[in-house]
Amino acid sequence: MLLAAWSKGDQGALDKMMPLVYHELHRIARRAWSEQPYGNTLQPTALIHEAYLKLAKSENATYQDRCHFFAVACKAMRQILVNHAKSRLSEKRGGGVAKVSIDDVQPAVHQEASEIVALHEALEALQAVDPRKSAVVEMRYFGGLSVEETAEAMGVSIATVNRDWRLARSWLIREMNRESS
Amino acid sequence: MSSPVPWEEIERLYHDALDLPPSDREALLAGVDAALRAEVESLLEADSQTGLLPAPPTHIAADLLDSQPGALEAGQRVADYEVESLISIGGMGEVYLARDNEGKPVALKILRRHLIVNAQAADRFETEARAASALCHPNIITVYESGKSPAGLFIAMEWLDGSTFRAIMDAGKTEVAQAIDWGGQAARALSAAHSAGILHRDMKPENIMLRKDGVVKILDFGLARHGGAMGPEPSAMGASGTISGTLSGTLLYMSPEILQGEAATSASDVFSLGAVLYELTAGKHPFAGETPLDVFEAIECRPVSPIHAARSGVPQEVSRVILRMLDRHPDSRPSASEVCDVLGGHRR
Repeated sequence: MLLAAWSKGDQGALDKMMPLVYHELHRIARRAWSEQPYGNTLQPTALIHEAYLKLAKSENATYQDRCHFFAVACKAMRQILVNHAKSRLSEKRGGGVAKVSIDDVQPAVHQEASEIVALHEALEALQAVDPRKSAVVEMRYFGGLSVEETAEAMGVSIATVNRDWRLARSWLIREMNRESS
Repeated sequence: MSSPVPWEEIERLYHDALDLPPSDREALLAGVDAALRAEVESLLEADSQTGLLPAPPTHIAADLLDSQPGALEAGQRVADYEVESLISIGGMGEVYLARDNEGKPVALKILRRHLIVNAQAADRFETEARAASALCHPNIITVYESGKSPAGLFIAMEWLDGSTFRAIMDAGKTEVAQAIDWGGQAARALSAAHSAGILHRDMKPENIMLRKDGVVKILDFGLARHGGAMGPEPSAMGASGTISGTLSGTLLYMSPEILQGEAATSASDVFSLGAVLYELTAGKHPFAGETPLDVFEAIECRPVSPIHAARSGVPQEVSRVILRMLDRHPDSRPSASEVCDVLGGHRR
């Protein structure tokens, strides 16, 4: 009953989580950049991950619900990245103001943007078939969680996450190949 | 995509096949139904491909961080206001200290454009502006204006210098007389909202503020809605807007009927305020628990221990009315205005 109530409320939780995740991501990024101005070692997924840990920690004292928190935070991250990917793609199509950037970075960004949107859509289809597998992909791919963390957050075994991940990956690749062919 | 073959069978056979060396898979699949076999084979084929999935979306994340600023910066203008500093990041957006044209401080709440994922999020933000501005009461935060700006949706509100009940309770015990006075003020605000037909729906210590001059103000009408006809809630958000609100943090202040997925009524607000007042007077939460499930069970069925068991010096009438606010049956709870009368009678 409680879980039902929560899942019913996921959209509200997601809306509320977006600013928190987004802000935390920025805060950590700023710090990392200021500490390592020339470093190429900055891994956005590591940032995402750190943002979760930080948020989970601060929320944990009050909210105690780490698992649900992680699930919603990963959803928020997915939404933020997909939104951004979509806006990049529409910019390209609409001929908006191009961002001044290093030449070889832009194609990678655009390539990834269309991949992310395709993956996002395929993942929605997977969710209809098998919600748990789609959640595993959401956490691992968009949230940058490890297999172990995903297992903990979902309350399933590591073996289950590994199996789910493998099948989900095959399913998504097949789905996306179909779409593009 | 909606295959006629049961998903469980596909899943089982897929994993069975993967456990075998590729040369032995043919034999495993030889005997099975053609549709099932086609499904499994196409998945195995995909499994052998190196696709995009293993690579995390690093470029997009980096690009996002690079191109979209974090918090607004000091000096930036939003409508007629100049941002001074970031105060808090909350579920419904960011709150800044800002100045109006006359240099007067205002609280500026902003929901950034790129964080609005759906119409509901924007709706809720506007609901807050509308609900609070429809209420003019000394114990309810005043909304000056709301609107759209290039930065996103904004609400300009009265600037409150003080602390939330959460911060006050975290800092230590509150004097009984003080708690009763503050509780009375909060109940007056709720009573005013209810008689205007507006439910708060998210009463919790984070949303009640004590100004330095001792005036209590209720904030955050983001989930508020007009009471009116109180049928089952139609929207997907429904009563669960509160549940999901801040995860299980709000759970502690949620009434049993809301947990059951029923519609919120004014009695649900009374229950939530009751939990806050109990915590404020007794110095401990009535439904504290280790896990959300414990809290859930406590709200559903654990008897609430009388306040005097935790704290002496609370007048009997006061502790009685607080316990009645926490009655599991909405109909047995006092109205907010009854609560005002009782607490008001005990003011210093």
